[in-house]
Amino acid sequence: MSFAGQTGLASRVGQGVVLSLLSVWLLAVTLPFVWVVLTSARSTEEIFRSPFGLPENFLDSLATNYSKAWIKSGFSNFFLNSVVVVFTSLGLLGLVACPAAYALARSRGRIYRYLLVYFLAGMMVPIQLLLVPLFFQYRDWSETLTAFLKPLFVLMGNDHWVVSLADSQPGLILLYVSLSLPFTLFVLQSFFRSLPTELYEAGLMDGCGEWRVFFSIMLPLARPGLITTGIFNFIGLWNEYFLALVFINSDQYKTLPLGLAAVSIQANYRSDFGLLFAGLVIVMFPTLVVYVMLQRWLTQGITVGALKG
Amino acid sequence: MADVVFKHVNKLFQGGVVAVDDFNLEVHDKEFLILVGPSGCGKSTSLRMVAGLEEMTSGEISIGGKVVNDVPPKDRDIAMVFQNYALYPHMTVYKNMAFGLKLRKYPKAEIDKRVQEAANILGIQDLLDRKPKALSGGQRQRVAVGRAIVRKPKVFLFDEPLSNLDAKLRVQMRTEISKLHNRLETTMIYVTHDQLEAMTMGDRIVVMKDGKILQVDDPITLYDHPRNLFVAGFIGSPPMNFIRGRLTSEGGNLFFDEGSIKVQLDERLMTPQAQNYASQPVIFGIRPEDIHDPAETRDIRPNTLVKAKVEVIEPVGSESIWYLSSSHSTFIAKVNSHVKAEVNRDKEMVFNVSKAHLFDPATEQAIV
Repeated sequence: MSFAGQTGLASRVGQGVVLSLLSVWLLAVTLPFVWVVLTSARSTEEIFRSPFGLPENFLDSLATNYSKAWIKSGFSNFFLNSVVVVFTSLGLLGLVACPAAYALARSRGRIYRYLLVYFLAGMMVPIQLLLVPLFFQYRDWSETLTAFLKPLFVLMGNDHWVVSLADSQPGLILLYVSLSLPFTLFVLQSFFRSLPTELYEAGLMDGCGEWRVFFSIMLPLARPGLITTGIFNFIGLWNEYFLALVFINSDQYKTLPLGLAAVSIQANYRSDFGLLFAGLVIVMFPTLVVYVMLQRWLTQGITVGALKG
Repeated sequence: MADVVFKHVNKLFQGGVVAVDDFNLEVHDKEFLILVGPSGCGKSTSLRMVAGLEEMTSGEISIGGKVVNDVPPKDRDIAMVFQNYALYPHMTVYKNMAFGLKLRKYPKAEIDKRVQEAANILGIQDLLDRKPKALSGGQRQRVAVGRAIVRKPKVFLFDEPLSNLDAKLRVQMRTEISKLHNRLETTMIYVTHDQLEAMTMGDRIVVMKDGKILQVDDPITLYDHPRNLFVAGFIGSPPMNFIRGRLTSEGGNLFFDEGSIKVQLDERLMTPQAQNYASQPVIFGIRPEDIHDPAETRDIRPNTLVKAKVEVIEPVGSESIWYLSSSHSTFIAKVNSHVKAEVNRDKEMVFNVSKAHLFDPATEQAIV
């Protein structure tokens, strides 16, 4: 690393400052993580004896804590719920956002500009403000849907059935998709916009129709953008607590953040910290894996347009 | 086998900007036609209308006798080479070239045969497995041309394909595209703003300005007989000298008189039309290569010597460009670089009036 226009001592001092700042940052990020992982392999007594000590019976405590968390405290169920809700949301989001972003990026005309602003406005509304109206909206929709499907239910001999969007996975997925849409659209449309028009025209000349151009040329080129928004949305949704807390009540539908909170609250005065830390690692681990796997694309996605070519 | 015919084609952009104005042209089968003009003259728009990438406001374009106004680009059987290559970055060279054939559901063996054939013609056999990112500008342009020729289309369109290349490569690709045309014998329409490219490559050249066709001719006719001031100034480098003055009639002869420059016109220029301009203002046009040092030329006609001061000398190899000024005008001469002259000294120059042109200053049209 060198600093333009500086030589000798000045440059070395500058280098030293930067390196020490970066080291502090690195420690601040990694140490808590390492601590959580190590602590998840310790018994509660050990943790109380010395919170920052190393595991004494690494394998034993590890097995005990994780099996307790996974089986007894129901983390397996929370994990599965999270996987279902988050990945279905991501899938639907891609299905809706990709064509929409492409259309917004390619279309000329005022109406599309307004449409984009309309979507972007969605990013400016705090979720907390939406909770109460959303809740009532869900209740109304559920009633309408129930009334609409009543004949079918009667036909099936289950006329007591009701549709409920609140406290259901489809309801939560619908919320996640619609609330992630503005950000996703914003990033993706700027991605599509950065792709040269000539590629579209070359596609037309080669014999593509609009859909072919989109699927064979534009979508593969937007892959860094898709992955970037995918990671951001994954992290956001995987850790999402607030909406899930409000809209999910039944234990059977709880996602990981809700489950973790429930376990720590239920434990009350008899806290099993080993188990809690194991749960924490279970929550964190997928995010880490996804990030490590896709980080190459993430940096590409973030720097798009910054560099030529 | 296809000619391309434009009939009264107009293109208006949003806000009423006229891009192409009553464009009428017949591009013959197997012809290499160049559209040339300054930026914004409508040449690219005209080409893009043939491609179907731009809709025309009114008029009719037909390819091979079939009106294509409502035919989508993919069904027009044409291929286009873009200025910035427009190669698909996520596909290898092979896939880039095969893409159009694959979409048209050609059998695999046929695709392979055609791609290899095109790669051989263009000398890119070794690059087929590379992605466009790993190619140089010249190689990318070859691939772009390859992508066009594998399809064996009726018409090739080139939209300033050499503008992004460096000067040396441009000259090389120029001859290669000409060779390609001879080999493929297909109609080609080529857009450029570079008059040298136009002159060296085209069977015929269309000079455009402000959406209008100013002249359509073969390169030499265009050079020898420009129909107006713009074409005269646009074709040729350095550009033609234009000197404003009057025509005077003395003893049955016509003279061009600028004050400090007075030359006698020869028989070729003494047409009845020119006679009408006697004692009227005109623009006298003469190319730098038609102004000589007396030492260079044996045949000096009467009253064609002009005295001027040499201001700058630019040797460019076999020739030197002299910048000269008389008391009222400046002009450029292209002389043999072995002829010596001193800067800031007066010098007598010979105007080869047999190659001069006269233009009407009001209409800017050629008088002779």
